[in-house]
Amino acid sequence: MLLSQLPARPLASAPSPELRAVDFRMSVPDYMQCAEDHQTLLVVVQPVGIVSEENFFKIYKRICSVSQLSMRDSQRALFIRYRHHYPPENNEWGDFQTHRKVVGLITITDCFSAKDWPQTFEKFHVQKEIYGSTLYDSRLFVFGLQGEVAEQPRPDVAFYPSYEDCDSVEKRIEDFIESLFIVLESKRLDRATDKSGDKIPLLCVPFEKKDFVGLDTDSRHYKKRCQGRMRKHVGDLCLQAGMLQDSLVHYHMSVELLRSVNDFLWLGAALEGLCSASVIYHYPGGTGGKTGARRLQGSSLPAEAANRHRPGAQEVLIDPGALTTNGINPDTSTEIGRAKNCLSPEDIIDKYKEAISYYSKYKNAGVIELEACVKAVRVLAIQKRSMEASEFLQNAVYINLRQLSEEEKIQRYSILSELYELIGFHRKSAFFKRVAAMQCVAPSIAEPGWRACYKLLLETLPGYSLSLDPKDFNKGTSCPGTHRGWAAVQMRLLHELVYASRRMGNPALSVRHLSFLLQTMLDFLSDQEKKDVTQSLENYTSKCPGTMELLTLPDGLTLPPVPFTKLPIVKHVKLLSLPTSLRPQKMKSLLGQNVSAKSPFIYSPIIAHNRGEEKNKKIDFQWVQGDVCEVQLMVYNPMPFELRVENMGLLTSGVEFEALPAALSLPAESGLYPVTLVGVPQTTGTITVNGYRTTVFGVFSDCLLDNLLGIKTSGSTVEVIPALPRLQISTSLPRSAHSLQPSSGDEISTNVSVQLYNGETQQLIITLENIGMEPLETLEVTSKILSTKEKLYGDFLSWKLEETLAQFPLQPGKVATLAISIKAKLDFSCQENLLQDLSDDGISVSGFPLSSPFRQVVRPRVESRPATVSEGSKAGDLSHLKTLEAVLNFKYSGGPGHVEGYYRNLSLGLHVEVEPSVFFTRVSTLPATSTRQCHLLLDVFNSTEHELTVSARRNEELILHAGECQRMAIQVDKFNFESVPESPGEKGQFASPKQLEEERLEARGLEINSKLDIHWRIPSLKRSGEASVEGLLNQLVLEHLQLAPLQWDVLVDGQLCDCDAAAACPVGDPVRLEVRLTNRSPRSVGPFALTVVPFQDHQNGVRNYDLQDTVSFVGSSTFYLEAVQPSGQSACLGALLFLYTGDFFLHIRFQEGSRSKELPPSWFCLPSVHVRALDAQA
Amino acid sequence: MAVCIAVIAKENYPLYIRSTPMENELKFHYMVHTSLDVVDEKISAMGKALVDQRELYLGLLYPTEDYKVYGYVTNSKVKFVMVVDSSNTALRDNEIRSMFRKLHNSYTDVMCNPFYNPGDPIQSRAFDSMVTSMMIQVC
Repeated sequence: MLLSQLPARPLASAPSPELRAVDFRMSVPDYMQCAEDHQTLLVVVQPVGIVSEENFFKIYKRICSVSQLSMRDSQRALFIRYRHHYPPENNEWGDFQTHRKVVGLITITDCFSAKDWPQTFEKFHVQKEIYGSTLYDSRLFVFGLQGEVAEQPRPDVAFYPSYEDCDSVEKRIEDFIESLFIVLESKRLDRATDKSGDKIPLLCVPFEKKDFVGLDTDSRHYKKRCQGRMRKHVGDLCLQAGMLQDSLVHYHMSVELLRSVNDFLWLGAALEGLCSASVIYHYPGGTGGKTGARRLQGSSLPAEAANRHRPGAQEVLIDPGALTTNGINPDTSTEIGRAKNCLSPEDIIDKYKEAISYYSKYKNAGVIELEACVKAVRVLAIQKRSMEASEFLQNAVYINLRQLSEEEKIQRYSILSELYELIGFHRKSAFFKRVAAMQCVAPSIAEPGWRACYKLLLETLPGYSLSLDPKDFNKGTSCPGTHRGWAAVQMRLLHELVYASRRMGNPALSVRHLSFLLQTMLDFLSDQEKKDVTQSLENYTSKCPGTMELLTLPDGLTLPPVPFTKLPIVKHVKLLSLPTSLRPQKMKSLLGQNVSAKSPFIYSPIIAHNRGEEKNKKIDFQWVQGDVCEVQLMVYNPMPFELRVENMGLLTSGVEFEALPAALSLPAESGLYPVTLVGVPQTTGTITVNGYRTTVFGVFSDCLLDNLLGIKTSGSTVEVIPALPRLQISTSLPRSAHSLQPSSGDEISTNVSVQLYNGETQQLIITLENIGMEPLETLEVTSKILSTKEKLYGDFLSWKLEETLAQFPLQPGKVATLAISIKAKLDFSCQENLLQDLSDDGISVSGFPLSSPFRQVVRPRVESRPATVSEGSKAGDLSHLKTLEAVLNFKYSGGPGHVEGYYRNLSLGLHVEVEPSVFFTRVSTLPATSTRQCHLLLDVFNSTEHELTVSARRNEELILHAGECQRMAIQVDKFNFESVPESPGEKGQFASPKQLEEERLEARGLEINSKLDIHWRIPSLKRSGEASVEGLLNQLVLEHLQLAPLQWDVLVDGQLCDCDAAAACPVGDPVRLEVRLTNRSPRSVGPFALTVVPFQDHQNGVRNYDLQDTVSFVGSSTFYLEAVQPSGQSACLGALLFLYTGDFFLHIRFQEGSRSKELPPSWFCLPSVHVRALDAQA
Repeated sequence: MAVCIAVIAKENYPLYIRSTPMENELKFHYMVHTSLDVVDEKISAMGKALVDQRELYLGLLYPTEDYKVYGYVTNSKVKFVMVVDSSNTALRDNEIRSMFRKLHNSYTDVMCNPFYNPGDPIQSRAFDSMVTSMMIQVC
């Protein structure tokens, strides 16, 4: 019943077993009793009058030290049991078991004046009266007086001046014990030698007294009973007097006698006496915990024990006749019977069982039974027979005494717990201890003893295999992270600890326990419990925040801090590198040095191995002093409600680190949730992230990564390099939402975008601001144009850094600017189909010099044609925007980081949308009148929606309306491309011939373009730009524009004749005609045969070649030119004779076959000669 | 007939505990928990006996006023504890024994489940229903 009704919850009602109302007077069990106590004499030490507790216990302690005394004459040892409190009711049972009898009384009193003495002495007598019936002797110790009392010195009174000055106390106690011994001895002998003639008195226990009223005292049965009880009594006395063997004999006899008369209570006592004596014999070390220890240190007893029994035994032998007459067989031949009389260890238990079963017949003997159980358990504990011991204890649990006071209940449960502990039943022990603890605070108690309760609860921890150190919690478990133990009962205990500590008025403790509960039992708490626990934790912490301090209890137990590693659960820790724009980079040259410093080898397996190991811990990026660094944690909230984590910061070592705490709120049972913790390293060196710190529910926790289970970390050590400046750039252009193509590789911090018309140039002003703490000392700007399908002409980006650098070093907070010009010059040619069209026309364009500059007039173009084409395709290709992207890289450094060889790289993304401005839909050339010149015809198409003007060098402006296309003719000098410095040979070595060709083409285009210098302007938008023909000059056109390497000069009459201007010559005189060839080509050419064909142009499309009558040749009309070496010159001479006046043209033609086929026809473009023959007079 | 059935791991933590719902559950927790002392004691006493001859059934662990607690230990030191109402005198030792055997068989089935992780709380439905059947059989 007790077990089942034990309180399960704190403050639950205390057990209220219906206890039989028992009316017997011995009520207070002595749970500390052990078998050895049977051989002790009970002495009560009590204060009289007002004696301070301190003083009393000081003396009491000294008295207690004399607990064992060897009698000088008999070599027997006497054991004394001192009590400062002993209920007189228990004394009544002194006849039953003599060790319960108070035989000595020592009173301690204060008395400061002789005047008070009589009064004090009176009190002593009153005190004596209480135990008067059983006392052998008594003593009074008076402190304060110094023998001023006039009375004669009494042997039972001792005076001491003070509590300090009382050296002879021990001596006096020894005397006192000796006197007790004398009385004991005399009593023993007296009882033992009772003559048969005398009537043996019947000894009885208090409750028996009335039963024997009117009994026939003469019956044999009664006599036997008297004898048996007396024998038992003598046995007790013998045992007390140190005569073990004798006592055994007496007990045996007593057992026989009592058994025959069925006097069960006393039979039980006799059996117990037998057991006690045997225990004393077998286990000289003692069976009772503390008292046993006392005995042990008190003597060399075991060795002497055997000797000591003998004399006692012999004493009985000396007086052999003493008992015989009583009809008791004086079988005291102990020499033989010793082994027989003494019970074997197994028998002891049997006899105890028997005794207890007899006791249990008497309700009033509950205390005796209980104490016997306790004694038996102690014996069994020594015998290591736990199972049987537990049976005894189980029995003891069910012994009902009268209604116990709360204090007694506590005592009872505590002792049960202790006994269970003794036999190794830790769980059972913990159970009872917990019950005792609950009893301390039972609601029926006016002043609940929360402190005691708490203390007892703490003692139950080992029984529930609970350690209050969270580190132990997962120790020894095969699977980390799982809880091993009886969670249900552990949780209950923790709850009780929390409650008790709170009621104790120690909120710090309750916070600690509650934190522990939450941390370790999280998996076992239901959702509602989680809520409740956190709620109360928050309540507590509002008064007393949980700390990471070690709590030390007054009794020395320390409670280690409980970091909340599960609130939230951290799954992954990753140190983040700085953002790309702030990431420090090592200068290459210095890096090289570093490597070489490590080892002279480029590669060695040993080094590689080391490096691998290092890599595990150290991360291959750096943090910068003074810059905010980040660590990313993946956290998980296991709670069914939102978890608020405050002050979440990093714990680091190695470098002074200013952690910037963060607060976060995790949704209920969130998945993995990234959290970034930041901080600023204040010094340089190697920093290790050890863990993190949180405040959850008002509890501060320092969670070390080493202690976390199942955490993934990619290293936690990183190098912190000296401070670097920080550069912030802002531009004159709007920021762009465009992000550059991912292929760009670098991360771009800012993107700006601009819209330009093709050919337009715009300035980009970049403002550089040093927003760091270090001066900005160096700056390097590079650009990278991201691969684009569009062909780009000219420098896309250009800048002058010198002016900016002049402002350096840039102090923190200062600003510098850098101007960058963006020139978007894309292909101005039109789509493929138009070009196709162009090449169709190429035949006519590349026409022979015969064609006149007036051809366009002769064959007028259909102006509308390109326009319609462009209209048709406008929606498609022409309006489509082209995009150019580039990255500007700013490498900068300064401050101590620069000294260490680090720099930073900031990238600016540039996004340029190029709108088409003008197109050259068609390009063609027309030979000019001079062979050195040429007309470039461009069909210009305005693809904008605005009116646009186009101008070329030395030309008037051409106005184009939106979508209009017009032809523009530009007279250009032919180009001598050979004079363009060919890129040095090195280039040719790498580039393929095709590339080389392209390059050459490009270079030519560039030159042509610079000569042409075509500009467009949109007046309405006030925007202007260049237009470039580079892209649309194909090989064919180029050849036309090219100055042929064979330079043909025709001289008429010694005059160079190249232009439209006609050379004048008189009629009738021979005119000298000279053809000169200068070879600028790299090879020798020729020989050539030339024929001069004169003709007249009638300006109406008719040409008259029939001029034999009008023009005659002096000599041959065919000239012969020898082969000309490179850069050589050659000339041939002839003469003409004009017979009539008129305008003549001379067409110099190569004779069939003489021209080398492999040379391009444009090389043989000889100027046509216009000669005006005049009258000689004119 | 049983009021509480518990399966306890080798390391003495509960793998499974089930009691009649109307009763105070924690009480049985305490009862079973404290019975482990006796189980440990019995096992250590048995330790010397040969493994094959060892009796798995531990018999009555301890009686309380209202209940009797019986124990059974497998060769892998997994303990079964059964709490039976004291008033149920019809229950003989042999029946308790057979109940434990049934329990053991069912536990073996649980262990045979490849998805069961030894040491985890038992959540098998088959085991659960078997325990249920043992708890209500005679009532």
